[in-house]
Amino acid sequence: MSTLIDPELIRRYDLPGPRYTSYPTARHFQPGITEAIYREAVMASNEDPIPVDLSLYIHIPFCHRPCFYCGCTRIITRHAPRVTRYLEQLHREIALQGAGIDGDRIVRQLHLGGGTPTYLSDAELESLMLALRRAFTLDPGPEREFGIEVDPRTIDRSRLAHLLALGFNRVSFGIQDLDPLVQRAINRVQDPEHALALLQDAKDLGFASVNADLIYGLPGQTRESFQTLIEAILGAHPGRIALYGYAHLPEQFPFQRQIPSAWLPEPAIRLELFLTALERFTTSGYRLIGMDHFARDGDPLLDAARAGSLQRNFQGYSTYAGLDSIALGLSAISRVGSLYAQNTKDEDDYLASIRAERLPIRMGYRLTADDVIRADVIERIMCHEALDFDAIGKRHRIRFQEYFAPALVRLKTLEDDGLVERSSHGLLLRPAGRILRRVVAAPFDAYLPREGRHGHYSRII
Amino acid sequence: MARSGADSIPAELRQKCSQCSLQELCLPRGLHVHDLERLDSLVLCEGPHHAGDVLVTAGDRFRALYAVRSGSYKSHTIDYEGREQIWGFHLPGELMGLDAIHPEHHLCTLTALDTATVCALPFEKLSEIAGELPKLRSQIFRMLGKSLSEQTTRLREESAEARLAGFLVDLSARLRERGFSERDLHLSMPRRDIANYLHLTAETISRLLARFQSDSLIAVDHREIHLLDLSKLMRRAHREVVET
Repeated sequence: MSTLIDPELIRRYDLPGPRYTSYPTARHFQPGITEAIYREAVMASNEDPIPVDLSLYIHIPFCHRPCFYCGCTRIITRHAPRVTRYLEQLHREIALQGAGIDGDRIVRQLHLGGGTPTYLSDAELESLMLALRRAFTLDPGPEREFGIEVDPRTIDRSRLAHLLALGFNRVSFGIQDLDPLVQRAINRVQDPEHALALLQDAKDLGFASVNADLIYGLPGQTRESFQTLIEAILGAHPGRIALYGYAHLPEQFPFQRQIPSAWLPEPAIRLELFLTALERFTTSGYRLIGMDHFARDGDPLLDAARAGSLQRNFQGYSTYAGLDSIALGLSAISRVGSLYAQNTKDEDDYLASIRAERLPIRMGYRLTADDVIRADVIERIMCHEALDFDAIGKRHRIRFQEYFAPALVRLKTLEDDGLVERSSHGLLLRPAGRILRRVVAAPFDAYLPREGRHGHYSRII
Repeated sequence: MARSGADSIPAELRQKCSQCSLQELCLPRGLHVHDLERLDSLVLCEGPHHAGDVLVTAGDRFRALYAVRSGSYKSHTIDYEGREQIWGFHLPGELMGLDAIHPEHHLCTLTALDTATVCALPFEKLSEIAGELPKLRSQIFRMLGKSLSEQTTRLREESAEARLAGFLVDLSARLRERGFSERDLHLSMPRRDIANYLHLTAETISRLLARFQSDSLIAVDHREIHLLDLSKLMRRAHREVVET
């Protein structure tokens, strides 16, 4: 596939831009979305003739030590009472949220993210799952998508078996990089043998999907070191691979100041790392899913991509579309109907709020009718190879070509450069366009022209 | 009776039946133009009400009948244990408050389901005019009869599926009468209200709608229900199939 892609072309488009895990992006969230507004949206969703089913996200912010690249909301601590205190309130938040949701709405999707969810002990995870089962109706069937992010340093085969017993059927390993030098530079030192053995263990134990997270563009990465990483991962043969570009934004994420810019691979190398991975994965039985995931036959993500039911969310890509998403824990973002609601990022505020029996919602966004249409278009571009103008037009009762006339004009350059092909009925993403999805989506973003493109966003590649 | 004289009504509250698009569905049906003008003199507009706003509370003294002008309302009662019972959903052109004629107070509370307006028809004046206009009189009787027959068919000994299918079919027929598409229903009421009205649970409503959907009888998008196969739906409702 990469043989079709001109590196010069990608270099030209390698500018900062949103990743569109949501539209509008979380940067546009505003204060003023309160618990009352959120509750109203939940009630309205309960009252639909057929209320949509649910996706749950639980944020476990704790980490033993800081990985320097990470931009997530997290708490670095080894202080057990601090964790216990958080879990107590998290349990109450689960009960508060569960009480507002009608019991016939099934949780099809569950994701534990962090921080480090496996920072928690087996007993703590078990009681968390119990609390969820008490508050919500969890799907017991094989179609459910219950996943957890795993730090290989916190887990072994028997803990994996315990996760399976708790109902998780998907597991995602934070591999990132296995080279000792790179690991030291990002402050995430782990035993490569152990990490790779866990990928095998997870497959043997029978998880329906096993994912490995990798990052390119990390300090100290070279062509050779990255090649070694790719081959090691291919040897372990996980069902899916997520390949993220490291976003160096030290003004936003203080720990990233520990990474001297001089250690970062220069843009040309960075691009080469990405293209090498793309080439190796796609010629080894994996297919590119969305902009940064790879899946091989047998993984539900590939089935979803083939069936056209792939969905973009804050965790990346997933297989269920059209669920309301209820998110719990520090900084977590819910989406119910056309409302985004985000919990506080401040630990004390979080604890105090729930002690007072109040959901700790502090920010959010209510989608306008225009946002809903654009979000649909952008999600399609982020997930699929083609955009059908008539289908979008019919669904939203608009004339696509008129409604998006200015966007289609902006798209002209991308057409000339071979990122997309346009017919009277739709848009087809060509190989370069599939890599540069964010660039193809950008013309449909009504907020981008207003805010300018620079500074806050990560590079495209 | 501050409201009885047309002269005391501010002009902006006056509603003219003679200019209303619903006149063939509502009280004025079949009236001559000059008779319509007599109705014009007594009709008062109220609202807009918003979802949850109460127009009339059970127990209120009976003063007027209400014709829905836009949006929709439900009529419901609350029993001594606080349980709600819904008796009907009312669309534009339909008359509400008929139950108050005899006891002279309202038996049902009337609550808006969405943004809605009504025309109030002060009853004393209305019966006075009706005494002189046989066509108006018979239209009042017809609307009274409709309201009675709705109550007798609502809870027939039917399966849950037949009751819900019947509900959709009836709604569709009422929309057709109003000149709207009979296939595109917008359900302004929450699912628990439909459940309450049909004496079913909210879960059953959703389960049955999901079944209708997987059987390709309907397509559901939040509150919008598109009827894909009306005649099959009528059969499920154990109704005679009317080809339209």
